[in-house]
Amino acid sequence: MNQTECISIKNADLGYIKNNSHLTVLKNINASFFMGEMVGIVGINGIGKSTLLKSISGLILPLTGEIFINQRPRKQMSLLELSQQISVVLTEKIEGFNLTAYDIVASGQMPYSNSFNQLFNNHKAYINEAIKACNLSDHINKLSSELSDGLFQKTIIAKALAQQTPIMLLDEPSAFLDYASKHDIFILLKKLSEEKNKCILISSHDLDLLLKYCNRLLIISENGCELISTKIAKENKSFQIISGGHIQQYY
Amino acid sequence: MLFFLASCFLSLWYGGSEDLNNQITFTNNFIFWQIRVPKSITAILAGSSLALSGLILQIIFRNPLAGPYVLGISSGASLMVAASILAGSSFSFMTNYFYGKGFIVLSAITGSFIVTILILFISKKISSNVILLLIGLMISQICGAIQTSLEYFSDSNSLKTFVVWGMGSLANTNLSDLTIYLPFYFIFMLSILFFIKPLNAMLLGENYATNLGINFYKNRFYLILISSALTGLTTAFCGPIAFIGIAIPIVSRLIFKTSKQQVHLFSCILIGSSTLLISDAISNSIFNSISLPINMITTFIGAPLVIYLMFKTKHW
Repeated sequence: MNQTECISIKNADLGYIKNNSHLTVLKNINASFFMGEMVGIVGINGIGKSTLLKSISGLILPLTGEIFINQRPRKQMSLLELSQQISVVLTEKIEGFNLTAYDIVASGQMPYSNSFNQLFNNHKAYINEAIKACNLSDHINKLSSELSDGLFQKTIIAKALAQQTPIMLLDEPSAFLDYASKHDIFILLKKLSEEKNKCILISSHDLDLLLKYCNRLLIISENGCELISTKIAKENKSFQIISGGHIQQYY
Repeated sequence: MLFFLASCFLSLWYGGSEDLNNQITFTNNFIFWQIRVPKSITAILAGSSLALSGLILQIIFRNPLAGPYVLGISSGASLMVAASILAGSSFSFMTNYFYGKGFIVLSAITGSFIVTILILFISKKISSNVILLLIGLMISQICGAIQTSLEYFSDSNSLKTFVVWGMGSLANTNLSDLTIYLPFYFIFMLSILFFIKPLNAMLLGENYATNLGINFYKNRFYLILISSALTGLTTAFCGPIAFIGIAIPIVSRLIFKTSKQQVHLFSCILIGSSTLLISDAISNSIFNSISLPINMITTFIGAPLVIYLMFKTKHW
């Protein structure tokens, strides 16, 4: 692949710091991701999919090693710079305080607004673009607690889109969704990664969807992680190996 | 929205003038300027401080039922004030007016800050909003118990000062108190303006706020400091005043259907101060000869309101 590298993880141990002791979840991770590709992250529960995504997005720091975002070490970037490079979609619910779907999408422009969080026409243009891309126009004035799981997930994706970042990280966006909504969301993400040349990382348990829509798979196991191209895997019959060998190991 | 802001202004002036009119008819100028005006100004300051403090706490805890009084933060401030009044008689600098008042204000702010940090640590261990309130209740009980035992060992003079103060009253603040109260008030009020964006981001929770470029822990620390300072300041001058802090932000969210916290900041200032002004007017006008403690009125207004809203609203 001769595309621009946007995330590279070098010799990183990832995990949490609790009571001054390191809780290493993922050991010695080396991986690179490129612009315009969609990578699926698979692995059993608790293996560290969320830890990986949180480490890349800067919500937690790598214990050792370094993560480079667009060839720049993450440590040197401020939170604001990082927020203009990476947007996240997490499993958390956002509720209450009169928050509507529009408010959540609009918060994506927060890294670009002034300290009073005023939205001007240029901000609103990005927000409306994100709403349109996610087909949310009919539900935009609903309170977030009134949204169905699928619509809520789309709202958060629209927020990430409104953040105008080259990198999007999604933590189990397809959990709790029905089959049609899952496909909706994956088709939407595929479109984004192709049209806007974004790098999209998705952790999910829906292997069929990942194989169908992603360019590559990052398989995390106790032995470390491994990147496999879905296309090549399917063509070379090594798909058999994935489904027979690796995957069975994980499920 | 402008209409609502205008009506808040109206109620503010109505509350103020009602209060003043009562008195102009049968008192002289001296009482008007030396007692009525300071009292009304105190009501405005206290009402808006407590309402804002409650608003900040509700956002920090992401819990619409948080407030300085129900979480025991006011009690923490009272305890520290009690300790400083009762112990203070042995310090020589307490005889100086400004040092004495300043010492009490500082200890009240310290007290509320300690309780807020304590509650924050506890809130990480538990997930339920309601249990947090119960813990707040327990903390205020503990503070109350320590306070009572302090009173037991104190001399009659400082005991009286404290008991009168502990009932919560707007009337104890005179003009020279206001010269201390006002500057502090404006410092803390203006400093909130720097945190409008973090407040909006915090509604989305820690992770999303961080992802939007907001340093969550740093901003939360400053906001806790401001919120405790506002509660502590008010408690130092007026004693613990109940239910303004929890009820006003809820009312504000019901009136203004927006999640923009800059709107709620201003509406809390307006609604909070007008509510306390009206409560003060009511407390003075029910009986001719005596004025009821302000806490009684605010509890009568606030507590049923909170209960009603808890039943009525499913989504906060």
